[in-house]
Amino acid sequence: MAQLSLQHLDKIYDNKVQAVYDFNIDIEQGEFIVLVGPSGCGKSTTLRMIAGLEDISKGHLILDGKDITTLPPKDRDMAMVFQNYALYGHMTIYENMAFSLTLRKEDPNIIHKKVLAAAEILDLTSQLNKKPNQLSGGQRQRVAMGRAIVRNPKLFLFDEPLSNLDAKLRGSTRREIMLLHKRLGATMLYVTHDQTEALTLADRIVCMSMGHVQQIGTPLELYDNPANLFVASFIGLPPMNFFEVLVSGDKLIGPHFEAEMNPEQKDLLASYQGKHITLGVRPENIAEGGTIPVKVSKNENLGMNTLVHGHIDGTAAEGKIVCKFRGWCDYKDGDIAMVSFKKMHFFDKETTNAITREAQV
Amino acid sequence: MANETTVKANDMSDEFIKKDRMRYVKNKLSGNLAVLSIILNALFFISIYKSNVGQYYYKPLIGGSIVYNLLFMMIVFLVSEGSKNYQINYSYIAIPVALLQFARIFIYPMMAHRATTLTTGVEEQVMKDGQFIRLVIYLVCSGVCLLLSAVIGIIKCNNLKKHIESVEKV
Repeated sequence: MAQLSLQHLDKIYDNKVQAVYDFNIDIEQGEFIVLVGPSGCGKSTTLRMIAGLEDISKGHLILDGKDITTLPPKDRDMAMVFQNYALYGHMTIYENMAFSLTLRKEDPNIIHKKVLAAAEILDLTSQLNKKPNQLSGGQRQRVAMGRAIVRNPKLFLFDEPLSNLDAKLRGSTRREIMLLHKRLGATMLYVTHDQTEALTLADRIVCMSMGHVQQIGTPLELYDNPANLFVASFIGLPPMNFFEVLVSGDKLIGPHFEAEMNPEQKDLLASYQGKHITLGVRPENIAEGGTIPVKVSKNENLGMNTLVHGHIDGTAAEGKIVCKFRGWCDYKDGDIAMVSFKKMHFFDKETTNAITREAQV
Repeated sequence: MANETTVKANDMSDEFIKKDRMRYVKNKLSGNLAVLSIILNALFFISIYKSNVGQYYYKPLIGGSIVYNLLFMMIVFLVSEGSKNYQINYSYIAIPVALLQFARIFIYPMMAHRATTLTTGVEEQVMKDGQFIRLVIYLVCSGVCLLLSAVIGIIKCNNLKKHIESVEKV
């Protein structure tokens, strides 16, 4: 287990493109940190800088109080699991898992013990004599994890390890990673663009965009109190609905609707009276019954929930809305559903930062 | 190579681990010794017909010699792969093939070493002492390597078999 500190990390490539800007975080021992963001946001670059596969342009990387900024990857005592597994096709699973220890010239008996222990953890004991091409994608990814486990590293780094798996396998392998983290109590850094993985696995999430850290917090903090419009739109599925509204008295006036504010919200938006702000409402925070009319364009029944797509008042493109209602609904195209907003998020129109962290109607 | 009986990593003594490793690690020593035997045989075959003493080798035996060398290389290659994977039958096959390598000393090298031929009126030995000794060394070493490969293979196969039986009992 290890304590890792990233201090003002920058990554500037030779062609002057900056991939990461001023990345700061202190990671505690045994913590599971997930870096999440869209493609090209700099999350994999950050992970590769930590692993030593990319040079750090500015800043410091401190592992257990020791500056490892310029240390070569082999001396960092970290193990990385890649998206494409990176297994040796001509070696058996046992040989693949033992490979790094064999290179270090460890005692073969100790290697054997470690490989069997890791295989037990990952339920791979019966596969040890097989070659990688005889295994399924999920099993191959477990082998890749096993190869990391046998090294007993200070830090585990995962670079989108589940992206090559189908949806069902992704779910089960995700649970295995969770169990593995609990069992080993190891410090883990995990990169993904899948918010479900981020929300289910992380102790803390680092949400990134365009090389900048947007917010660091627990999954609940990011979901309930997004720091800005980007985080609000990225976290949550379906994504949050946004409307431009005018703050007027105790009302928020949208293009085709009005929403009442409670005294607390009115107090919060006191300095925005007469100004436009961005109102955010999650689909699951919209309830049937209320004063806001939604003209339905599509009704998607998912079993436990129904996604209702439509337009507020049905007249303007900017009034597009997605509602997530409990249970089974049977709205037809063109039906009017009356809804109300149960929880609202407010964002400054200029800065896109959240005005408040949480607001209840 | 090995069965898939589960053994708890924590319950193992060093002696047990040494045997248990055989379930997952190939018998490289046997395999490599067999390959070395092929290499030494190839060196023997390359060197044997080096001669400037007329037409001594121009007889049907040379054809048999070539065919046997090809067979030897094929069989020993299979032995190498089989013994790597703890297949005891291949080790048994290797024993007579290794003994044949010793027997071969008395065919061509010995016959050619004893034979003489007339070259421009002078009687000459077909195979000189130096070449003869070198060929005998190649054949003996090739045979010894193959024999060692077979013996090690048989011992390891039996150990592995016993180990698996004991694990299955547990």
